[in-house]
Amino acid sequence: MTDKTILTVDNLALSYGSNPILKGVSMQLRRGEVVSLLGPSGSGKTTLLRAVAGLEQPHQGSVTIAGRAIYDAAANIDIPAEKRDLGLVFQSYALWPHKTVFDNVAYPLVLRKVAKNEIVQRVHSALKNLGLDHLAERYPHQLSGGQQQRVSIARALVYNPPVILLDEPLSNLDAKMREEARAWLRNLIVELQLSALVVTHDQSEAMAMSDRILLLNGGVIEQQGTPTEMYGQPQTYFVADFMGSNNIMSGRIGDIKGGEARIDLDNGLSVWGLRRTNAAIGHEAKAVIRVEQAHLADANGHNRAEVDLVTSMFLGDRYEYVYHAGKDLLRAWGKRHEAPGKRWLELPGDAVWIF
Amino acid sequence: MMQTLPRRAVVALLALSVFFPIGLVIYQSVLSGPFFMPAAVPSLESYAFIFDDPDFWQAARNTMAVAIGMGAIAIPLGAILAFIMVRTDLPGRKWLETPIMIPIFVSPVVLGFGYVVSLGPVGFFSVWFESLFGSVPWNIYSLASIIVIAGLTHVPHVYLYSSSALRNLGSDVEEAARLSGASPFRVARDVSIPMVSPALLYVGVLVFFLGFEIFGLPLILGDPEGHLVLTTYLYKLTNKLGTPSYHLMAAVATCIIAVTFPLVLLQRFLLKSAQRFVAMKGKSARQRPLALGPWKWLALALILAWLFVTVVVPVAGIALRSVVSSWGQGINLLDVLTLDHFRAVFEESTMIRSIINSLLIGTLGGALAVGGYLAIGLVTHRKNDAISRFVDYIVLTPRAVPGLMAGLAVFWVFLFVPFLTPLRSTLFSVWFAYAVVWLAYGMRLIQSALMQVGPELEEAGRLVGASNARVSRDITVPLIRNGLLGAWLLVFMIFEREYSTGVYLLSPGTEVIGAQIVSLWASGAVDVVAALSLINMALVGIGLAVALRFGVKLHD
Repeated sequence: MTDKTILTVDNLALSYGSNPILKGVSMQLRRGEVVSLLGPSGSGKTTLLRAVAGLEQPHQGSVTIAGRAIYDAAANIDIPAEKRDLGLVFQSYALWPHKTVFDNVAYPLVLRKVAKNEIVQRVHSALKNLGLDHLAERYPHQLSGGQQQRVSIARALVYNPPVILLDEPLSNLDAKMREEARAWLRNLIVELQLSALVVTHDQSEAMAMSDRILLLNGGVIEQQGTPTEMYGQPQTYFVADFMGSNNIMSGRIGDIKGGEARIDLDNGLSVWGLRRTNAAIGHEAKAVIRVEQAHLADANGHNRAEVDLVTSMFLGDRYEYVYHAGKDLLRAWGKRHEAPGKRWLELPGDAVWIF
Repeated sequence: MMQTLPRRAVVALLALSVFFPIGLVIYQSVLSGPFFMPAAVPSLESYAFIFDDPDFWQAARNTMAVAIGMGAIAIPLGAILAFIMVRTDLPGRKWLETPIMIPIFVSPVVLGFGYVVSLGPVGFFSVWFESLFGSVPWNIYSLASIIVIAGLTHVPHVYLYSSSALRNLGSDVEEAARLSGASPFRVARDVSIPMVSPALLYVGVLVFFLGFEIFGLPLILGDPEGHLVLTTYLYKLTNKLGTPSYHLMAAVATCIIAVTFPLVLLQRFLLKSAQRFVAMKGKSARQRPLALGPWKWLALALILAWLFVTVVVPVAGIALRSVVSSWGQGINLLDVLTLDHFRAVFEESTMIRSIINSLLIGTLGGALAVGGYLAIGLVTHRKNDAISRFVDYIVLTPRAVPGLMAGLAVFWVFLFVPFLTPLRSTLFSVWFAYAVVWLAYGMRLIQSALMQVGPELEEAGRLVGASNARVSRDITVPLIRNGLLGAWLLVFMIFEREYSTGVYLLSPGTEVIGAQIVSLWASGAVDVVAALSLINMALVGIGLAVALRFGVKLHD
């Protein structure tokens, strides 16, 4: 643990009744870093965030913020949410409908007994930072979704919490706004040098916004790393499958040569790929290749197979080809429209992972 | 979760307010005499006495007949009414919604009185009917009449629960049945009604339960021919032996609670399972009403006929009776018109006091009660621990105690506890009894308001640094202002309507209109009863008008 670490979660476990949600999660957040908690629904990512915030009750482990233990099961420490001094941006924004924008943002300062004129000045500067200064006297229902989100961020930042937590911050915006808001939010976090923990279920959002990603699965961290590591070097089948769009085929290990293996697929193809499993020859395995890595080839060759092109779908910036290979449907991307018929498809050996 | 001192205090006070009076009743039931007599010793002779009394068994049989009979009338009618109102294109549905609820808000004792003056042997409608057809085919004082009237006036209770269940049902499930080839009638029979059957089952138990605690109607209608039910048997016991027969009354009350308490628990269980059923509904889209075609006029006529019998007849009877000096065969209405009854009411100080007290208990008392319910609601809000579950059951308990007995129990408490005795003849004792009797109702209003507050709004408050108490004060309570106003108005109406709870607490200084009517009725002062009944209905009506003006939903 370096002194740059601002948030440490150690072996945190939490259950709802007899149903374990978090099964011993450990992670760290460094000052000025953005970490995403990524995972499918039910993986425990929101629960982890809420446990850090003090809204859920873990039964084991510890949480430390800036050197202060805010939860420690062994030491019987459990600081209530309001004393943790954290900022949380809710998925639904959770603006108080009976307070104006100004009062929403001012409330944390009122609770901290800040002097009146200082409150006015700090709220206005927070609102100005987020481009909301002209909306101070409005009520939340008079704002657009994007504006509400900014108010909710202003409210979470106005008392300078050491860590800001964001729960699915973009999920309530429509698809087009989401990409813009993503860039805006990343920029804001970098500019204000915030330390942020973000929950998201959207892998591209996680990759775009964060310095590191923690992928949760069934209450444990499956893998963590930079976005490029997570996308390019998945350590498990779950990670490979969760990140990106994939072609997934099952079969049996046919041959092993050091770090590589040949898999004889149930659909009749046979390909070489990077070995990510300890399964011996003859055992069941799965081959995973990103859709963008599979491509058309003009003739037979290494890791190529003749398959049936069924259709080409136009996606705007590219075409997606759909192939029949035995009972599997395979997908690949290309620039041109292709007529149906027999084609050679290459699955490059360094892009195929065998789990 | 840390137990704060205020939380413990609220729960302790609540538990004491509920369990002490009930405990006192049960304790009294196993004494040989009134608890304040030194000679009273533990004994079961009170039970032996009532079990030996043929009147008790007759009353029990009549109670069963009323409870079952009114269910047999109210449940089918209420369910059909709900289906017509919620699912069809009946003309004037919006306009009918409020009149349908009126019987719930009219005091049953007033209603019973209304039937006597309208349909009794010399009632307005009886006299008119007789002059037209020569004779009257009904006898308002028979047990069958009591059952029919009880059944018809409880249709709104059934309507309330089945309509909200029907409203929760997405029309997608019905449309799916239509597309599979079912006719509208088959849709109702095979899909809609079965899907709301948990609600109907719940309401069946509720009506049976209400039949057990019914008091005002049998008191007024059953008296002339001596049809007793358990509550009126209890009421008559007061004078049966000449001396205060508290132990006998307590024994009857304990017998009634022994039936009603399991029914309340059953209701709770059924309500929970009904909610589970509804929770499975699909995304409830816009509901398309079913076209009734020419049948809609028949449906409308039936609803209007029911409204005529349950609302117009008794209310018109009271209104008319309060402005005539006498009535009977061959009397010309214009000759007997008078305002003397109202004059009589406003000349007597006890009457004026009962009106003022009723207003005080509805407005100020209602606000205080809502404040108390709110405190209890906040204590359990979003806390699913042992204390919350305990409070859940405490709140439920008074539901099992009919108002008449709750009033009796509170009367005893104020007699029994020395430092409370000075408060017995003040309005506080009546308010306390009302607040306890309507605890479950009030808590439902408060809890449904609290449920409207998104949990994240409170969590956001905690996160930015507000303690639990601050969150309640700055976020939760301001957000439910409208719900609190609605609760206050509904509690006002309920408190104005209440009659049985005040019966045993009636003393100089604690008169309220409802209890006053019960006591005056016994003395035969029909003129004043008519005037007071009309005033009582007017008070409830004002509450209703204000509630509608503020857009308060009369049911959830």
